[in-house]
Amino acid sequence: MGDAAARTKRTSPGRAGGPHETSAPADAAQRTGETAADEHGWIDAGRPWTRARRSRLRLSARQRLAVGIGVVIALVAYAVAVPIVAGFDERAVDLSASGMPPSWAQPFGTDMAGRDLFVRAAAGLRISLLIAGTCAILSTVLGVLVGVLAGGLGRWVDRIVMRLVDTVNAIPHLLLGIVIVALYRGNVIAIVASITLTHWAPVARLIRSEVLSLRQREFVDAAISGGAGRIWVIRRHFVPAIVPQAVVAAALLLPHAVWHESALSFLGLGLPPHRASLGTLLDEARESLLLGSWWTLVFPSLMLVAATLAIAACGAAWRDHVLPRRRSEELP
Amino acid sequence: MTAGVLQLDNLSVRLRLPGGRFVSAVTGLSCTVRAGEVLALVGESGCGKSVLASTILGLLPGNAQVRGQVWLDDAAARTELLRAPEHELATRVRGRRIGLIPQSAGTHLTPVRTARSQLAEALAHHGSEGGGAEIASRVDELAQQVGLDPDDLYGYPHELSGGMTQRVVTALALAGNPLVLVADEPTAGLDRALVDHTVDLFRFVAGTGRAVLFITHDLAAAGRVADHLAVMYAGRLLELGPAREVLADPWHDYTRGLLAALPSGGLQPLPGHPPSLTELASGCAFHRRVPGECSGDPTLTWHGGRAVACR
Amino acid sequence: MRSVTRADRRRAIGWMVLRRLVMMVPVVALTSVIVFVLAAASPFDPLAGYLGDRYLTAGADEQERLRGTLGLDDPWYAQYGQWVTTLLSGDLGTSRVYGQPVVDVLAERLPWTVLLAGTALALAIVVALCLGVWSAWRHGGMLDRLVAGLAHAVEGIPPFVVALAAIGIFALGLSWFPVAGLTEPGADVTFGQVVTHMALPASVLACSQVPWLLLHVRQSMIAALGEDYVTGARARGLPLPVIVLRHALPTALLPFVTLVGVRLPELVTGAILVESVFSWPGVADAVVRAAVEVDFALLAALTLLAAVAVLLGSLLADVLYAVLDPRVATDG
Repeated sequence: MGDAAARTKRTSPGRAGGPHETSAPADAAQRTGETAADEHGWIDAGRPWTRARRSRLRLSARQRLAVGIGVVIALVAYAVAVPIVAGFDERAVDLSASGMPPSWAQPFGTDMAGRDLFVRAAAGLRISLLIAGTCAILSTVLGVLVGVLAGGLGRWVDRIVMRLVDTVNAIPHLLLGIVIVALYRGNVIAIVASITLTHWAPVARLIRSEVLSLRQREFVDAAISGGAGRIWVIRRHFVPAIVPQAVVAAALLLPHAVWHESALSFLGLGLPPHRASLGTLLDEARESLLLGSWWTLVFPSLMLVAATLAIAACGAAWRDHVLPRRRSEELP
Repeated sequence: MTAGVLQLDNLSVRLRLPGGRFVSAVTGLSCTVRAGEVLALVGESGCGKSVLASTILGLLPGNAQVRGQVWLDDAAARTELLRAPEHELATRVRGRRIGLIPQSAGTHLTPVRTARSQLAEALAHHGSEGGGAEIASRVDELAQQVGLDPDDLYGYPHELSGGMTQRVVTALALAGNPLVLVADEPTAGLDRALVDHTVDLFRFVAGTGRAVLFITHDLAAAGRVADHLAVMYAGRLLELGPAREVLADPWHDYTRGLLAALPSGGLQPLPGHPPSLTELASGCAFHRRVPGECSGDPTLTWHGGRAVACR
Repeated sequence: MRSVTRADRRRAIGWMVLRRLVMMVPVVALTSVIVFVLAAASPFDPLAGYLGDRYLTAGADEQERLRGTLGLDDPWYAQYGQWVTTLLSGDLGTSRVYGQPVVDVLAERLPWTVLLAGTALALAIVVALCLGVWSAWRHGGMLDRLVAGLAHAVEGIPPFVVALAAIGIFALGLSWFPVAGLTEPGADVTFGQVVTHMALPASVLACSQVPWLLLHVRQSMIAALGEDYVTGARARGLPLPVIVLRHALPTALLPFVTLVGVRLPELVTGAILVESVFSWPGVADAVVRAAVEVDFALLAALTLLAAVAVLLGSLLADVLYAVLDPRVATDG
């Protein structure tokens, strides 16, 4: 037994004085089967299973929000300014300039009717964003109304509403949208209605659960039993809890609405051709692609993808920033 | 005296926290577990003793750093575990030469597979010869050894009681016929009869020539089975010696305090709480909690077959 | 004694199936009401649907008479009752677009959709599982970050853009695969023809499902690898493949089963777009044609079919979950 005691007095061996910092992962050492120790003899004990690998390129929610907002602002500026400056007319056809590849004068090339795609994509993006924005706001309003009603009144109202939510979720949204648009052909309201009516359900479910959890909380009970008026309780407790949720919900619905509208237009069920959205441009690209005009596909797609990704990134970053409770993750 | 199978030599373990601070879980710990013996490591919860099991098996989390040496000695080889490559630990040490009975047995069983299938799997991978029938009979044998009804093994982990899961993980640890058995709080949450059964099993395991490191906060259970007793406080050993002698005549104030807190000692709890292991100040942590004559870091000094700190 | 509890559990799962099937009835009924009300409120004259080309030639008297016999002047609920009665008698009506009974249209087209969507789903699951497990295993490494980043990016690209890009690159640019259709024009439906024609649409449809599945597999696998029972398996010295495949994966896969069920509406949406781009002769392509030509009988049948498929899919997933995980309660 005595030798154990003797050994405690010895300084610990290990390759003392190695050049490795404490924080340097023992990656290289692990691979060669050797172990690096720092100047005090400490060895990183993490094994391949458990070793912490930290990404150096990780943006915080605030940074992601800034990047997303920057891209969105740039896209909106492009969509608003370019058609005005270019004096764009959708109906102007110039067959002599038909199907020109990208050039300095026309960076996105021209379509089969000779229209400048740089300008046309801007106009298309503007229409897409307008419709999608309207739809996102309307479906959020509808969802909040239904959710507050269901959560606030409870009982049979709640049961019917939840069944309705289940039903809307059971029909694939694009299919329901197609049915609506098909039956009310060719007007903007039909498109807005088709997107609104398919997107309110998750918002309603979210707001309902928020209202239910608020109702169960003690301070609301206390306020009511303390003689506070209904309006006061709603203003003081419900509005501050629900408004941020609703705003985040609207932001998160926006890319879905853009996507949905362009899908409908792509299938030929959207707006008339002289009011082209990005989806319409892509529908036209189906044919011109066969003639080799790749740019008719690439640039409108880039605009569509950039817009949806940037808006989605904003929404997600903002949700993380504003609502750390993350209940809104249930949203699509 | 037989040679030590598992030797911890001046072992320190610390866990890096965000912000560059450290938790000093184990500091300068040296002890030896011998073949055929049970060494009980006793201390209050939060004294760093559970980190020890993970250290020995190379299962520490990624933010951990170690210092010192852990030697595994047997007829086949002498291995320093802290610096052994992962491959060697995975293929030659874990389960085969060192078996682990983990803390919270229930969560250490895969929930969607029956206890029997996991036990048969462990046996099949640890060199049990023969086909399914032979393995099945080995499973039954092992189950009976740890006091399980073989029929109970057909249950899923969530269908088993706490005592049953405890015995299942014990059987799993024994499946590879290891030289060393490390048991991390195996008696937590068990009633007295099951505690006695479990520690008697350790006695039996040690009787077959294996070494047992029994990590526990339960001094009574330790006293029932241990050959040697190590008392740990705030990451350091305060007393080490043959169990019977230490229990009969504790040298360190802390050991005395632990004994006094037992029902047999009059149920007098120790005053205060164990210290947090972050940013431990130098000096004797115990004698900051309970006043006493002491100076400097507690270091074990040997007097005959026993060692004690703060003297 | 334990075998008794297993039998009890089987019975409990049986009851769950029955209960869920009963609960499907109101949802499907509500779907039919929604579709019917949308049609009834539509400005589109159902008589035009009935008469087709003869609508313009038929005189006003004849139209009035037909209205009377068809019950088109009855209130909508009476018409709905009549419609449902014929539906329940197995008569789904006649498709105007295809000039044949809706049942025949479905019988002809449904197998192709099932083939395409099934292949795509299987492909997506295999790819998502392999990449997801591998990515989780190398969590934080370069390849993991690459895979996760790619998945996030692809998730933001609409399937019709992917479809067009695939056509542009692999069909037009490289000429590896045909552009569209089920076979070469006029060729017989042979195995080889179908496989070459299905390669692109199935890959694109799979591509639209992979990112979401992959990210979920990765997430639950990362969680599973950190669980105690994986540490337990490691402490027993089991070989790496055994730990990953027999301990971490089974538990990580459980939520995956429900995810695939929840994902069915998205699969239908993707199928609509992909079948339309590739002119695949399935029911999803028929949806678009029925919508463009306002073929109410076909549209209604397809919507109900999709709703039933989605509900059955999620039921199947829940049953599978209950069968696979002994811990799951069956009273949900």
